[in-house]
Amino acid sequence: MDASQPQPQPIQSGKGNTIRNVMLAMAGVFIAVLIFIVGLTVGAAAANGFRFTGSSAFPVVESATGTENSSTGSINVTLMNDIIRRLRSQWYGEIPSDDKLTDGALRGLVSSLGDPYTSYVEPKYAQMLEQDMTSKFEGIGATLRQTSGGAVQILRTFENSPASKGGVLPGDIIDAVDGTKVTGLSTVEVAALVRGTKGTTVTLTLRRAEKPKAFDLTLVRDQIVIPLVTTKTIGNGKIAYISLFDFSQEASTQLNTRLQTLLKQNPKGVILDLRDNPGGLLSQAVDVGDTFLKEGVFIIERDNKGNEKRDYTTDKGIAQDIPLVVLVNSGSASAAEIVAGAIQDYGRGKLIGETTYGKGSVQLPQMLSNGGQLRITIQRWYTPKNRGIHGTGITPDFMVTRTTADEQANRDPQLDAAVNYLLSGKAPAATPIPTVPATAAP
Amino acid sequence: MKRWTWVAIIALLWSAFLFGAGWITRSYVAAVTAPEPAPAAAADTNTIPLLDEVWAHVRAGFVGEVPSDTVRNYGAIRGALATLNDRWTVFVEPQPRSMERDHLRGEFGGIGVDIALNEEGKIVLTPNPDSPAEQAGVRAGDILVAIDGVTLPDKPDFAEIAPRVRGTAGTIVHLSVLRNGQVLDFTVIRTTIQIPSVEWRILTDTQHASAVGYIAIHQFTERTGDEVRQAIEELRQDGSQAYLIDLRDNGGGVLSAAVDVASHFLDGGVVLIERKRNQPDITFPVTTDGSTRAIDEPLAVLINSNTASASEIVAGAIQDRQRGKLIGDKSFGKGSVQSIYDLSDGSSAHITSAQWLTPNKRAIDGVGLTPDIEVTRAADEAGQGKDSQLDRALAELRNEARN
Repeated sequence: MDASQPQPQPIQSGKGNTIRNVMLAMAGVFIAVLIFIVGLTVGAAAANGFRFTGSSAFPVVESATGTENSSTGSINVTLMNDIIRRLRSQWYGEIPSDDKLTDGALRGLVSSLGDPYTSYVEPKYAQMLEQDMTSKFEGIGATLRQTSGGAVQILRTFENSPASKGGVLPGDIIDAVDGTKVTGLSTVEVAALVRGTKGTTVTLTLRRAEKPKAFDLTLVRDQIVIPLVTTKTIGNGKIAYISLFDFSQEASTQLNTRLQTLLKQNPKGVILDLRDNPGGLLSQAVDVGDTFLKEGVFIIERDNKGNEKRDYTTDKGIAQDIPLVVLVNSGSASAAEIVAGAIQDYGRGKLIGETTYGKGSVQLPQMLSNGGQLRITIQRWYTPKNRGIHGTGITPDFMVTRTTADEQANRDPQLDAAVNYLLSGKAPAATPIPTVPATAAP
Repeated sequence: MKRWTWVAIIALLWSAFLFGAGWITRSYVAAVTAPEPAPAAAADTNTIPLLDEVWAHVRAGFVGEVPSDTVRNYGAIRGALATLNDRWTVFVEPQPRSMERDHLRGEFGGIGVDIALNEEGKIVLTPNPDSPAEQAGVRAGDILVAIDGVTLPDKPDFAEIAPRVRGTAGTIVHLSVLRNGQVLDFTVIRTTIQIPSVEWRILTDTQHASAVGYIAIHQFTERTGDEVRQAIEELRQDGSQAYLIDLRDNGGGVLSAAVDVASHFLDGGVVLIERKRNQPDITFPVTTDGSTRAIDEPLAVLINSNTASASEIVAGAIQDRQRGKLIGDKSFGKGSVQSIYDLSDGSSAHITSAQWLTPNKRAIDGVGLTPDIEVTRAADEAGQGKDSQLDRALAELRNEARN
């Protein structure tokens, strides 16, 4: 894979039409894993039932000698073999198959990296991801994330999708898919199970905070049709609004075509809506950035050997000077954060909304000899001013929230604030948050 | 009372740690095996070759801090054990394992000093009366700055301190402490510090002129059987006419200790039955030591929802054998046995190796023991010095004594 074109997840529209099809359960994979993936820890095993748990008394510590710091190439065979041998002779239950033990050991190994985005995908799920690309655009219309406890949760459902029509709510925890327990699986793997051909059914076993018991919802999969770019003019026709669903192959082309049309009406300003945009291709982020920014560094990419690569914007953009506001929220991730971060760094426009997701890294899928897949974080992204996005996200210039109540009542205080700012130059009521100063290279 | 010497205070000193270790005490132990020599290198091919494959990818491309070999190996082991879906089959790292070992033995080589973290994250020492630490000159409030000449970091890892201060009885540990801005060095000889697991006293009732021997067992260590024997001897001398065993909040411990304790109150017969996979059942009879037994006096046992594992063995045997009544709440319901296997690097694996059944072959895992008399202690009772479960048990025992 060309390092200049990191592809956060292998999702492609593959089609040049204006309406774009996406299997949104897969889109959830963009947003992917939040906070930790934990293996079974001593603390976790202790937590049940006791008033005092073992987690504080037994923190994860290194060996008694405690002098190891470097990492060698191969795994300590003795310990693992010893344990497996004793399991075979002593364990009371049925010993899992070698494949299952391998899957578990690999999950444990990968979780020891402490990186929520580096994950192992079991062979059967890896296979499902590989087969039948068209079905990636068919599913239930929901995005997923991993909770701190390792469970897979519905992050978002899309309007008129099988998920939203069928009663799935953001925050629901997925316990099982078609009867298969998904405890311990990654979002990629759960997405593979949920995905499927239009017209077929999938049964989700869900847990919801206010419900005492898990419950089943059976949904009919459908083609998920989401427009990639949406435009309108607002503020008495003075403001051009353009929203981008994600950074897939067609993102920049479509955005430029539609923006061109809008600019012909001589608007006073442009609002670029990147809320809930989960990211996508870096190349598309560069091109979208190019539309609004002058010539300069757009992004710095760093790998594990300290290699640095920069991508640049040119002077060819069609909207380099018009007043600009970018809307962001906690669902703005990855490529969306890079675009927003660069616009903020250059003072090209103001960011209004909420702090972004904080995923400034790239995962490279690697096939393993057992047919499984390893997705390793191979790069981290930094804004032109060398700000890391990883874990922290981008803080908007003006913090304006949009509550669930606002959404239900079709109110959009963030958009209103953007329009008001562009028309009057007045900052929103909330306290402006100072731009984070550039940090030194890590 | 004489038995409340500084040794007993040590128990309090470690109590925070031991309560933290509740999960260990709940899972009790059938067998502890010595580490085996590592198998011959030639024969030792990796059971899970994919681990190396994945690690090669990680080393080639992963951006981020790569964990040490130890963290990585332990991670893989935990992952493999997680596939068993058994919360009691766990991997225990060397330091917690060494603390657990001390705990299950009921004694350790130490110096009798309380350690605590202060607000600045420093280790504060409080020596116990007449302990080796006090005799060597350590004073309450001393800040520990070095152990055996190794300076502690600014924010020491609390869990690491006790294992480093502990060691074989008779050996020496050098401590450097900060007191009034001065660093002082002490040489302390470790001694055997016992962790009492049993408390006992006579509960007299002047109104009824009856004396009940109250025996609270906090955990089952290798010394618990002896402690209970001592308790019975002393209580009998003090005129005890009935016994009340308190197993509330006792999460368990060593299997053989449960058999020893039950044997003090049962007249022969079976204590429990162990069932392994694809093997004939093994019966654990009363141990015949029985010189000091309380098999005739009225007996009651207090249990609650934290009464687990080894405690449930004792309570289950007393209930099945109709030796006494169980009073309180339904017990926890842990009916599995873990074997602890010590591994070559000091870590260990706890492996669920058997289920146990009561003498009447009741399986209590996930079910618990239902008390003969259900009495719940309200949440606010402890604060008011009340104990309705204890009161009810005493009333029962008096009733029985009268009949």
